[in-house]
Amino acid sequence: MNVTTQSSAVGQRSYHHQPPSLYVINSFYEWVVEVSADLARIAVRDSAAVKAARVDEITRLLTLEARLLDQGTLAQENQRALAQEAYGHWLALFADECAYWILANIPAADPRQTVALEFHDRRRLLDRVARLGTGFAFSQSPASHTSRQWSGLEIWPSPNRTDEWRARCSFMLVESREGHGRVLSGWNGFVLRETPDGLRIVLKQINLIDCDRMQGNNSFFL
Amino acid sequence: MTNIAKISALASAPPDTSGVWDDLVQQDRAHRRVYTDDSIFAREMDNIFAATWVYLAHESEIPEPNDFKLSWIGLREVIVARDEDGLVHAFSNRCSHRGASVCREHQGNAADFTCPYHGWRFDNRGQLFGIPGKSAYGPKFKSRDMNLARPAQLGSYKGFVFATLNPDAPPLLQHLGNAARYLDAWIDHNGGPENLCLAGAHRFRLACNWKMVWDNAGDGYHVPFSHQSLLVMTNDRYGGGDMAYFADADRSRMSNNALDNGHTVIDQRPEMHGESAWRQQRPQPGREPYEEHVAATYGEQAQRVLDTTVGAGMNLNIFPNLALIGNQVQVVQPLAVAATGVHWYATRRRDADAEVNTMRLRTQEDFPVMGEMDDASNFEECQRGLTNSPEDEWVDMSRHYETGKDLPAEEGIVRGPVTTDLHMRNYYAEW
Repeated sequence: MNVTTQSSAVGQRSYHHQPPSLYVINSFYEWVVEVSADLARIAVRDSAAVKAARVDEITRLLTLEARLLDQGTLAQENQRALAQEAYGHWLALFADECAYWILANIPAADPRQTVALEFHDRRRLLDRVARLGTGFAFSQSPASHTSRQWSGLEIWPSPNRTDEWRARCSFMLVESREGHGRVLSGWNGFVLRETPDGLRIVLKQINLIDCDRMQGNNSFFL
Repeated sequence: MTNIAKISALASAPPDTSGVWDDLVQQDRAHRRVYTDDSIFAREMDNIFAATWVYLAHESEIPEPNDFKLSWIGLREVIVARDEDGLVHAFSNRCSHRGASVCREHQGNAADFTCPYHGWRFDNRGQLFGIPGKSAYGPKFKSRDMNLARPAQLGSYKGFVFATLNPDAPPLLQHLGNAARYLDAWIDHNGGPENLCLAGAHRFRLACNWKMVWDNAGDGYHVPFSHQSLLVMTNDRYGGGDMAYFADADRSRMSNNALDNGHTVIDQRPEMHGESAWRQQRPQPGREPYEEHVAATYGEQAQRVLDTTVGAGMNLNIFPNLALIGNQVQVVQPLAVAATGVHWYATRRRDADAEVNTMRLRTQEDFPVMGEMDDASNFEECQRGLTNSPEDEWVDMSRHYETGKDLPAEEGIVRGPVTTDLHMRNYYAEW
């Protein structure tokens, strides 16, 4: 599935909202729906299908991804510049044409038909990070502190591609805010692609075990 | 204490404090206890939520025969079901035998409900039709109505289903009163009653009294403060946009309107749709290709299609639990004196193409995480303040109470500046 931007069809206009979101078109949604079904599939996969070196690289990337988000929340309260730095590094782990998707349904609904808790492109992720940086994001003042554990990582190649892999792992995220603790849990799905800049996250899908029930203040990144 | 003493203690009526309670809500301020007192909350569940019309569901949530969903009249749990003939019913999710819930799924499709405890069976009109070992029951039992309890009245207005336990409540249309024409405008913005469908929900649990959420539903004053992060970010990144017109709100063309029976509406349309609501909207995923699609598909109608993809420009509040905000249907569910569920249903249109509906959904995912959570934190902090500082007794609602700017308008409407507390004063008069 080719999800590269069809920017030529859009013409030579100038865009008010930077960066323009040219890739979130129907073919992209077709692709995320197909990926979503694959990530959730009850399957016994060939654990030897991905080379050990690649498994190591993906493991390191996902470890860094989780650690940067935890560091962002810990810095958010008094060291906003450091938090912004952490989120900057975090966003750099994502491909330019990426999606961050928190489902509102089990099993996953088509995001063209049903609202998601969050379905963000790169631009809205930049908005989210910038909002936290204003100092006026009261839902994060005081900030949530998070510590996330993940395990059970499985990685398999994307069909018909040699430069892309799919992965899933379960997670447990402990949050503390204003002295109150919460546990969020579920599983994450990822698509990772080799790009000229290195391995990047193309899709992060967050599947909370209680996503269709009432949520608390999840205004940090999951 | 003996068992008998315990029972009589439980059975004794609460002291009559009705005279005191009237003083708790004054013209321009409300006492903290109406937000913090368990006994007042219990009375609200009976005297407000059971006594007036309460929104239960939208018919599009149960489109097919035998579809059902759970809903609430205050704390009372009801099943809203469509029968095989297409008629909508509501009945209590409480087995008439021992009280167990007969339905334990939030939504689904079922022609009947079997209580998991002793196997009593009820159809999706709430009528009992099966008792295992029925011969063990006698004529006295059989003379009783053992169907699932039904609200005294059930009504639907253009797909919005309401119910009340009060047989003497005025008809639904009379209850909606002059709010109906705003509801009509909101529905028309979303394609008309035959085209509007709910499309999933964001659900939040907040540690505050339900009225904190309700107070805010008609509050045009908080925007530049509570949502400052969103305004600053939007200005920094895009040079301004959505909600910027709240900066000097009382000089704007927006208004805050007291309607019949405690209903209210903030009418933002003159500002939000005055120029172009679409142009002001913060950018959504896929915005630019969508604009191209609309331009290519809709020709001269393109701007109108873009503008109806984003919010209706009204915050329409149907007391006590239905708030139409943007293109979303918000339902307020009291859970306890200091706990409230808020359900934000997204909407789509049957008559719109796939791209329009996709963009509606992406637009509706913007505010909950970047705006609503800031409000929610402020509601919870209000609740903390009211709970922790009993000496500070009052919650103020006197904004524009003494300026003479809330003025009578057409059809019994009272219209004020957008930041007036008229919304609170109006619903508390009904409360």
